[in-house]
Amino acid sequence: MSKKKPEMTIGGTIQVDYEWSVGNAGERFFTEIKDHKRIMGARCRTCGRVMVPPRIFCEECFVDAIEWVEVEPKGTLVTFGDCYFSTDGKRLDEPWILGIVRLNGADGGLIHFIKEAKAEDLKIGMPMEIVFSDERKGHILDISHFRPVKESE
Amino acid sequence: MARKVAIVGVGMQKFEFCKVETIEEMVFDVARNALEDARLSKDDIDAVVTGSAVDAFCGIVNSDKVATDGAGGFLKPTMRNSTSGSSAVSTPILGYNHVASGMYDIVMVICYEKMSENASAQAVFNTVYDEAYVRPIGLNVPIQCGLEARAYLHRYGLTERQMAKVSVKNRGNAISNPYAQLPMKLTVDDVMASPYLSWPVKLLDTSPVTDGARAVILASEDVARELTDSPVWIRGTGRGADSVWFMGRANPDLGRLDYAYLAARQAYEMAGIKDPAVEIDYAEVYDPFTFKEMQHCEALGLCPEGGAGRMIDEGVSWKDGALPVNASGGLQGEGNPIGAGMSRLNWCYLQIQGKAGDCQVSKDVNTAVCNAWGGMYQYNAVMVIGRD
Ligand SMILES: [Zn+2]
Repeated sequence: MSKKKPEMTIGGTIQVDYEWSVGNAGERFFTEIKDHKRIMGARCRTCGRVMVPPRIFCEECFVDAIEWVEVEPKGTLVTFGDCYFSTDGKRLDEPWILGIVRLNGADGGLIHFIKEAKAEDLKIGMPMEIVFSDERKGHILDISHFRPVKESE
Repeated sequence: MARKVAIVGVGMQKFEFCKVETIEEMVFDVARNALEDARLSKDDIDAVVTGSAVDAFCGIVNSDKVATDGAGGFLKPTMRNSTSGSSAVSTPILGYNHVASGMYDIVMVICYEKMSENASAQAVFNTVYDEAYVRPIGLNVPIQCGLEARAYLHRYGLTERQMAKVSVKNRGNAISNPYAQLPMKLTVDDVMASPYLSWPVKLLDTSPVTDGARAVILASEDVARELTDSPVWIRGTGRGADSVWFMGRANPDLGRLDYAYLAARQAYEMAGIKDPAVEIDYAEVYDPFTFKEMQHCEALGLCPEGGAGRMIDEGVSWKDGALPVNASGGLQGEGNPIGAGMSRLNWCYLQIQGKAGDCQVSKDVNTAVCNAWGGMYQYNAVMVIGRD
């Protein structure tokens, strides 16, 4: 660490509020989740890849020939991370968990909270499912979280 | 046909937390040091290239404007580069392109970052994530690394203790580096006992928040031969990018850095290097986290894919090893002012010149490689330098 620190500083804040468009693909994706609890992917008509999150173009084929297809609200755990720090840097007693789940019927997936499981219960490659929020307004938090698929199902 | 380009001088300064110097003052310091090292004056410089990663760290939007005067850019052509963390090597690549193209003979390349003046580096990092799909979930840097490190260890069967050895090596190496922020004499058990940020990443697997700058002066072949009898040439450059949609990529496995393998292949093809593990004498590898050094050693072909655990276990990458990596201490030991991670290139140059001081490795160094990483698990930039 530095021995000397600045003695004279000027304080200040940069705070600007934004309203970000979710885009053409995002409007369809979030509307379907809100109204029908459906996860939609964008299928590239050239290579057949189903993109989730959906896009209006495939970056590999570089075409905008896309058709919308429904994918399953279930999939495979690609990786996950637990953390003892909140996003604003506070130390937590119990970790929270995020995971990336590749959805069945898609060549991609989503990153979201994992709940109803502890980190030690989770394994890369295990089946997971989406739990939707009761109240939905066209937002990624219309999905409440992922959880492991229950054994009985 | 690209012209040959040499590195003819470097500018160093101490990496620290909470520097008194402003960006302008930091940049002036390293620019002057580089001119002195190259025995050139400001008026010899034809053009200036600056680079830094994330303006939100310093809170000065378009921060290149305050770097210009200190970089010697007064009434000169200047250009700023930013590819997040990979700016550390993509910026000198941009400088290389300026000279190789024949447009300019002598170019000053400056990389800087001031990270200590915001109230929360974590809050700054959160602003780089996608606003619709990622940021509302609250992804933070610890989990970002945990997601990638877990996938990497899982894919190749590597261990936390192997990661810990990288921390021991790099922080230990930094003890010999007069510019280092975080030299530490550690044991593997010390690292293993440090608190988890996100499994398998622990506090001592990370790099610090740092203020600092680095400079490199590049010159055309004619100029370089006038200035020195032993020019160090830029022999190869490479860059690669993957999709920002890391959860929807063609290759979903964050454990394998396709874009880094691509960048390395370009650089080695250009340099005519067929077997980097044999032909590269020394490497400065981008190591913001211990496992990143391991992934990058593999992508750079310094060990077989999946072989980075054995590489550290067998001592290959230690300072006295067959292929030393980060004898300077790397980002973990020297400090991690993101863009100014160009220090990796500076240290490759110093090793080849035999001017690395107490960090100098005992073996001969004729050819060295460095790289940098940035974006959403997304970019890599690679540079190979060496003597004739
Ligand atoms: Zn396609």
